[in-house]
Amino acid sequence: MAAFGSFALLIALALAAYNLLAGALALRLIATGQPVAISPERLADTARRAGIAGFWAVTAAAFALVWSVFTNDFSLTYILEHSNRALPAAYKFSALWSGQEGSLLLWAWLLGAYGFVLRLTHKTDVKLYAYAGAILASIQFFFLLVLNFAAPPFALLKGAIPADGNGLNPLLQYPEMVIHPPMLYLGYVGFSVPFAFALGALMMRYPGEKWIRITRVWTMVTWLFLTCGVFLGMHWAYAVLGWGGYWSWDPVEIASLMPWLTATAFLHSVMMQEKKGMMKSWNVWLIFSTFLLTMLGTMLTRGGLVSSVHAFAESPIGYWFIVFMVIVLAVCIFTYILQYSHLKSERTIESLVSRESAFLFNNLVLIAACFVILWGALFPVISEYFAGNKVTFDAAWYNRIAVPIGLFLLCLAGVGPLLPWRATSLRSIRRNFVLPVIALWVTVAVCLIAGIRPWHDGAFDRGYFYALVAFALSAGVVTAIGSEFLRGAGVIARQSGRNFFAATYLLIRRNTRRYGGYTVHIGVVVVVIGLAGSAFNRSTESEMALHDKLVIGPYTLECVGATQDSNDNYNSEYALLDVSKGGKTLFQMSPEKRVYLASQQPQTMVAIHSIPTWDLYVVYEGINPDTGQPIIKAFLNPLVSWIWAGVLLMALGTLIALTPNQKPAGNGQGTEPPAKEAIQL
Amino acid sequence: MTNTLGWIAGALLLVALLVYTFWPENVFASQREKTRLDYLLERKEQLNENLRDLNFEFKAGKYPEEEFQAQRAQLENETVRLMGEIEILQRA
Repeated sequence: MAAFGSFALLIALALAAYNLLAGALALRLIATGQPVAISPERLADTARRAGIAGFWAVTAAAFALVWSVFTNDFSLTYILEHSNRALPAAYKFSALWSGQEGSLLLWAWLLGAYGFVLRLTHKTDVKLYAYAGAILASIQFFFLLVLNFAAPPFALLKGAIPADGNGLNPLLQYPEMVIHPPMLYLGYVGFSVPFAFALGALMMRYPGEKWIRITRVWTMVTWLFLTCGVFLGMHWAYAVLGWGGYWSWDPVEIASLMPWLTATAFLHSVMMQEKKGMMKSWNVWLIFSTFLLTMLGTMLTRGGLVSSVHAFAESPIGYWFIVFMVIVLAVCIFTYILQYSHLKSERTIESLVSRESAFLFNNLVLIAACFVILWGALFPVISEYFAGNKVTFDAAWYNRIAVPIGLFLLCLAGVGPLLPWRATSLRSIRRNFVLPVIALWVTVAVCLIAGIRPWHDGAFDRGYFYALVAFALSAGVVTAIGSEFLRGAGVIARQSGRNFFAATYLLIRRNTRRYGGYTVHIGVVVVVIGLAGSAFNRSTESEMALHDKLVIGPYTLECVGATQDSNDNYNSEYALLDVSKGGKTLFQMSPEKRVYLASQQPQTMVAIHSIPTWDLYVVYEGINPDTGQPIIKAFLNPLVSWIWAGVLLMALGTLIALTPNQKPAGNGQGTEPPAKEAIQL
Repeated sequence: MTNTLGWIAGALLLVALLVYTFWPENVFASQREKTRLDYLLERKEQLNENLRDLNFEFKAGKYPEEEFQAQRAQLENETVRLMGEIEILQRA
């Protein structure tokens, strides 16, 4: 299979090169109208089909690697280092992205898959898709170059072939790890598509803003994948690393957050371009930056520049990425300068208090957050280069900056939808903001009464202060968005005589993008409430002999046993803990510690009991060698499940926004004069 | 799979993909250049959508009457200008 896989990768490289060169030549010939022997359209079509064929070649290579994992072909260095015979089947798939070479192959395969769909749907706009296809081919060509010459996944082992492999990293042997990396990669790789469309539209001086509509689905789907990928990573870190938290500002976490921030900014500001013909240059640079940040993130973590608990594959391929990023940046700058006149805004912002300015603020804050985080991520590299010692920022530094920025963004998520386009009067502000402001202050009062006060014994508690602000703003934002739904549904109910629920459903169906977006905002609020809960985290640790008790919050944990188990893949030891509340036994928890046989590496398996108010999170830290007693660490983490629920809402909102609008009855083609159409949404 | 089999399978894959890529087809998608008229029609559609949004938000009580009228007038004027240009181009 090694020969087949290597050959398939070479074929894919040749096809990507042909796709790029023939595609570019055809577009040039079409643009200049030069008479040539071969029809440019025919040439462009062979380039397109080369792109499709390239996808099948990469698929064949990926299949060859998966086949080699499942057949335990330890003659391949990659398989030897990332798998073993006793590895369960699901985790054998994980081996595909657990190493440098495999993850690059997955990247190339996903890029091929996106390109495959794009090239099949090229009739939507043949010329724009041809540009985008050629740009995607250039990205694919880079990855295939790396795969063929710098990080070949089918490299053969020199010397005798061992009977068994070294096994998969224990941190990866967790169910979520089967879906988290592909999801994150779908997000990372997916941003190549909007990037290709934006650069292509700029190169061809695409008339109008229709290209944004064409790429909207791509951008939103990709954003959804990245969002799910980031949060799955958080959940994995929470469930596997055993330190009681889910976000530690690790370089890999930062690498995934940066493109998410710029992509979120793009999703907002692109509406300004579509509706008002504004912020064209800004949007182009947002999508260019998002793509470059996905590359930078890959270089930071996969290129060996920084170390991370999430990075399972590092090697000196960083230089390849640096060269590629420099080329991409040069092409972007050159194209931008060349086509600058095409990006002039059709109008300017008329008032600082308008939806346009809310979008602009939202963008500026997101970019500021991204810049600060980028600075934090690069500072260790910069300090080492200039001063000779690596200086890293801790989580407290990031939190000091990111939390206020996040709260300001939350505020904008509520303010933005209430502001009308163009400009607004004081009367409008009063009319639209009165309810959210009341909700905000009522929440402040309720929180203070409930004991969430930012001062304790005369000392200021920053965590409680931020939690209070987060809860208050959340109430304001939910009220603001809720009132948008209520007012909209009220109009439909009055016009159509439907009941409130039917009117709300119709409202959402008729403007899925807007109300899907609002649902995403509510999801963000729910996530923020969950994050704010971390201000109230508690933990305790104790050595527990049989029938010893540990009290945390309302729970009492009693040790009723400690035992061992083993299978072909690992040995484990775990404690059995009866959990009671108010003297009544509720359930049993069994936190575990495993030692994987192939790698001889230990791994904690946390026991989590999750309810909406809090998570009881118990870690088995091992046996005290002096006393022979198990050491148990317990955490009570309030509102954590709200984070995961919020993400589900964000995903639901995005899916709603992706659904096509239902046309109002009698308005099938949208041809009636606006005055009549205005009666309906 | 032995190396020889691997190379044979690779060669077959190569042939299949080359045939697919270069198979002579006489029908392939092409499109005419987008004209100013196409652009204006798209813009008109967008302006209509903006007008619909404005009307709906007014009915939902988001705008006072005078602000609504001012914004509506501006959008309608823009639409009229656009339709004038569309008419000229369609007649030409």
